[in-house]
Amino acid sequence: MNSNAITTRYPGYDVLNKRDTPSWDPITRQVVEERLSMSRQPRFFDLAQWTAATALCTCVVVQPDDRLAVPVAAMLDARLFEDQGDGWRDARLPPLRQAWCIGLAALDAESQGEHGLVFAQLAAARQTALVEQMQCGKLRAAAWQGMPSDLFFSERVLHDLYGAYYAHPAAWSEIGFGGPANPRGYVRLNKNRRDPWEAIEATAENAATVKRKNTRVR
Amino acid sequence: MSGDAVQHPRARGGQAPDVFRKGGWVSMREYPCDEEVDFVIVGTGAGGATLACRLAEQGFKVVALDAGAWWRPLEEFASDEAHQQKLYWTDQRICDGDNPLKMGSNNSGKAVGGSTVHFAMVSLRFRPEWFKCRSLLGYGADWPIDWREMWRYYDEVEQALSIAGPITYPWGPPRKRYPYRSHELNAAALVLARGAEAMGTAWSATPLATVSAPHGKSPPCVYRGFCVAGCATNAKQSALVTWIPRALKAGAEIRDLAMAGRIETNDLGRAVGVEYFRDGAWRFQRARNVVVAGYAIETPRLLLLSANHRFPDGLANSSGLVGKNLMVQSNQAVWGVMDEEIRSYKGPPSLSISEHWNYQDKGKDFFGGYAYMSQGPLPVGWASTQNGRGLWGAKLSREMQKYNHQAGLKIVGETLPQERNRVTLADEKDQYGLPVARITYGFCDNDKKLIAHALHFMEQALEAAGGKEIWRQEDDTCHLNGTARMGDDPRTSVVNADCRSWDIPNLWICDGSVFPTIGGVNPSLTIQAIACRTADRIRALAQRGEL
Amino acid sequence: MKQRMRSDTTTLLALGGIAIAATVLGARKPARAAWSAAPRQTRREAPTHIAAARRFNHSSSLLALSVLADSAVEHYRGSFKNPAMFIPLLSASLSFFAGLHGGRDRRAASHPVRHGIHAFAAMAGIAGTGFHIYNVTKRTGGWSWNNLFYAAPLGAPTALLLSGGLGAIGERLRDQPANEPRLLGMPAGRAMALAVSAGLLGTVGEVGLLHFRGAFQHPAMYAPVIIPPVAATLMVQTALAAPRPRPGTRWWLRLTAALGLLGVGFHARGIARCQGGWRNWSQNIPSGPPLPAPPSFTALALAGLAALRLRQTEK
Ligand SMILES: Cc1cc2nc3c(=O)[nH]c(=O)nc-3n(C[C@H](O)[C@H](O)[C@H](O)COP(=O)(O)OP(=O)(O)OC[C@H]3O[C@@H](n4cnc5c(N)ncnc54)[C@H](O)[C@@H]3O)c2cc1C
Ligand code: SF4
Repeated sequence: MNSNAITTRYPGYDVLNKRDTPSWDPITRQVVEERLSMSRQPRFFDLAQWTAATALCTCVVVQPDDRLAVPVAAMLDARLFEDQGDGWRDARLPPLRQAWCIGLAALDAESQGEHGLVFAQLAAARQTALVEQMQCGKLRAAAWQGMPSDLFFSERVLHDLYGAYYAHPAAWSEIGFGGPANPRGYVRLNKNRRDPWEAIEATAENAATVKRKNTRVR
Repeated sequence: MSGDAVQHPRARGGQAPDVFRKGGWVSMREYPCDEEVDFVIVGTGAGGATLACRLAEQGFKVVALDAGAWWRPLEEFASDEAHQQKLYWTDQRICDGDNPLKMGSNNSGKAVGGSTVHFAMVSLRFRPEWFKCRSLLGYGADWPIDWREMWRYYDEVEQALSIAGPITYPWGPPRKRYPYRSHELNAAALVLARGAEAMGTAWSATPLATVSAPHGKSPPCVYRGFCVAGCATNAKQSALVTWIPRALKAGAEIRDLAMAGRIETNDLGRAVGVEYFRDGAWRFQRARNVVVAGYAIETPRLLLLSANHRFPDGLANSSGLVGKNLMVQSNQAVWGVMDEEIRSYKGPPSLSISEHWNYQDKGKDFFGGYAYMSQGPLPVGWASTQNGRGLWGAKLSREMQKYNHQAGLKIVGETLPQERNRVTLADEKDQYGLPVARITYGFCDNDKKLIAHALHFMEQALEAAGGKEIWRQEDDTCHLNGTARMGDDPRTSVVNADCRSWDIPNLWICDGSVFPTIGGVNPSLTIQAIACRTADRIRALAQRGEL
Repeated sequence: MKQRMRSDTTTLLALGGIAIAATVLGARKPARAAWSAAPRQTRREAPTHIAAARRFNHSSSLLALSVLADSAVEHYRGSFKNPAMFIPLLSASLSFFAGLHGGRDRRAASHPVRHGIHAFAAMAGIAGTGFHIYNVTKRTGGWSWNNLFYAAPLGAPTALLLSGGLGAIGERLRDQPANEPRLLGMPAGRAMALAVSAGLLGTVGEVGLLHFRGAFQHPAMYAPVIIPPVAATLMVQTALAAPRPRPGTRWWLRLTAALGLLGVGFHARGIARCQGGWRNWSQNIPSGPPLPAPPSFTALALAGLAALRLRQTEK
């Protein structure tokens, strides 16, 4: 997909710059630190699954290419390793781990069936096309074991991948979110007002100045 | 340090965590399991904690159990949506029906303090007519309680929680002044206000259970906006920082990480105590009275799990209604992009409200009402809302770039009680070896009409407030009620007005499950008011020797 | 809890002690400094009305300082969105120095620059009130409690008006004869007592509103809505009744002056009680109880004492 299509409105802003300010408390520093230093090697997925999962993450979650990518697949793997459920599941879906194992295998099977290659080997456009078919529930190979592919896509793929991505500080910076806020919260609540520790939104004209200012936001 | 709270019970050895001090402890009375206490209460949320506190203050011996952990917010609540999942009920539940529900973060908590630990603090009263909606408005079922009586208990709860609300509330009969002043409105709240004014309807600052000035050991709200991920400030007046400390002071014992699996009854058909799992073993607490306050899913589940020879369909279930009439609230929204920066992550999420359509009956082609409120989603929640539109890839990234400009109006809408919406037991087992709950849910036509009306109205309001690229979020629900309704007739209800079960006189149910109807407002204030009333009724019954 | 409360009380007592000591010193020091810094003056006892004028200059100065600090914090909070938001800072700074200057000046003639500065402050105060009213009304909700609480504070610019007013009175008074000085067509002492009384009542209105917003969550929050109104009433009585020694009124004004300084201590304590305490100053100073506000009472009470003294010399 065209990853250049997105440019942040908050150039230069990095919530991590606030790590040592009153906006972050020790417990937050600790949990974010753990997330940032997470192993990028799979502990739950086997090689085939890991390859498929990584390709799926790259296809679904578009990331800007001027920074290190958020390791969405590794975050997913960690979650599956700990078997950290949401507390519910649609009756048509199997439990978390099983759903992912079936889903990834099925994606490879569909891909093999159509193109003779596993999902990860497909060109980006073909991957996208396959994912779009999954989204519409059109993938029905036996490998799905009766699991509706659209439901797998909405309740597992989107939910789990974006749940991971937007839990990452890089994603917070990208959308201009204030990030952690304890003990310091916010003072200026009205429209078009920002606290000195919030990101400045840039326009096409002032991007360079804003970028410089944003690097000092903390 | 935070892993610790979910692995080992903290409340023991005569002490319990002090929620107001890092690493602090307060003393706690303890009762041996073989002592027959006056009340054992399952669940310490809005219903259970309130009742535990009020009963202990009346001098009863109270033991309350909660399956969740006992957190110290000041040091254990991270400013992090993902990490704070630890507050939610994430044990497995299976959802089916026409509109399978999404649970977890959305509607139920597992912690000492229950769902109030991560609730959004909106503290509203029912419209008086709703207590008699069958007779007065022609739908649902009448409550066995008079609204004027509830009005007194609402006063009490609002005082106890130092609710910050407006000087005059535009809807409903007069009420006492809120103990604290309403909060400053954020930009998102003012979008609602502008829209309401353009539509010619009233709006108001939302009465919230977070303090706008110091109260006791709670500092004022700092507008950090992480409320539904738990308040690390202790400004939020959750049960964890209000009723629970009071209950401890009054001599109640509260056991964390204590999962009740079964209520035992004797040959006389009376409850004798609760079997619960704590610290690696099943234990049994004897009690003269058992109260179930596990919220609308776990309460019927426990009653069904406790089926025995004498009560083969589960306890208190001679009406067959345990688990039935589950009511969520519809939680649809319209979202739009504003020219100005809104940054709705600042402040409690719902600072302003319109209850217009709760009090206005004209122009509706459906029963019931709804309130709508301003919104303040955090990134993970917001991305998932966008996913709900089917967005992903570059389209989603572009939408997410508008995060600081988006504003939304979201309803808390009434749904009608239907017996087909229910909680049953599934074959699958949880980590304690207990069958998990199966939750079946579908909207009825009336619910759908209400939603359509709300979306239509809010769309106009948002547009009038300057919203662009407006779209509808049609899939969300919130809050859970019903499943053990109260009433006047043992054939059509599970408990009476005093929350006492018809079938087993010393078994009580005191939480969101007892609602016969749900109304168009968030339920916690009503749950707490009912718990206060129940405590008073128990005292009266005890004095007459009728317990 | 109990222990915590005890330590709170100790802190407050300590702060109170410091505050009172500061009042006494603060009231003395400038006077003494003025003596030594005015060698050109004859050492003969200055006329009463000049002493009163100087005290008014001092009060004006203290008030200006309070306005300076308060508007700096509040307008910083408002991100100086409108360049006009710098005006009170400028005006209050000028008034502060003008007041100090006047406090040292024993000449029996008004100083045109000082007078101009005070007039400017008064005008800025009036304009500021206008701006703030506009700010409240243009907000969604208009004249609502919420806007009165959280939009631009209506009463705040009046403090600048008061500072200018006190300063201007101080100047005008100097142009009056030593015998039976008059202001606004009445004996000067009476006029000054009435002015102080009005100032006190206006300030009480503002404090009342803000402490109501704070739900009077601490009993001490009632003090500034009880003590100063009594002082204001006593000032009216001083103005209207026949002049005579009023030790009770003097005592009450001193109490009011101390209250203003004590208030700073309470507000400092309030900031410490906010989440993150003083370490989180970038939030808690603008959002917590306003530190610089309470000394307005001190300024007005000191002016009241001056008026009282002058009034006692009148017939
Ligand atoms: C994100 C969110 C936002 C909300 N916002 C609002 C709002 O703004 N306003 C409002 O009024 N309401 C709100 N609510 C709803 C409100 O929190 C609940 O309605 C209310 O807390 C329910 O009270 P309860 O006592 O019935 O159950 P809960 O408060 O959920 O308490 C039940 C407790 O019982 C425990 N439990 C359950 N089963 C067992 C068992 N077998 N053994 C031991 N313990 C058990 C659970 O661990 C839990 O702690 C919100 C809820 C959520 C999730
Ligand atoms: S906004 Fe207020 S209530 Fe919400 S988490 Fe922050 S301090 Fe707590």
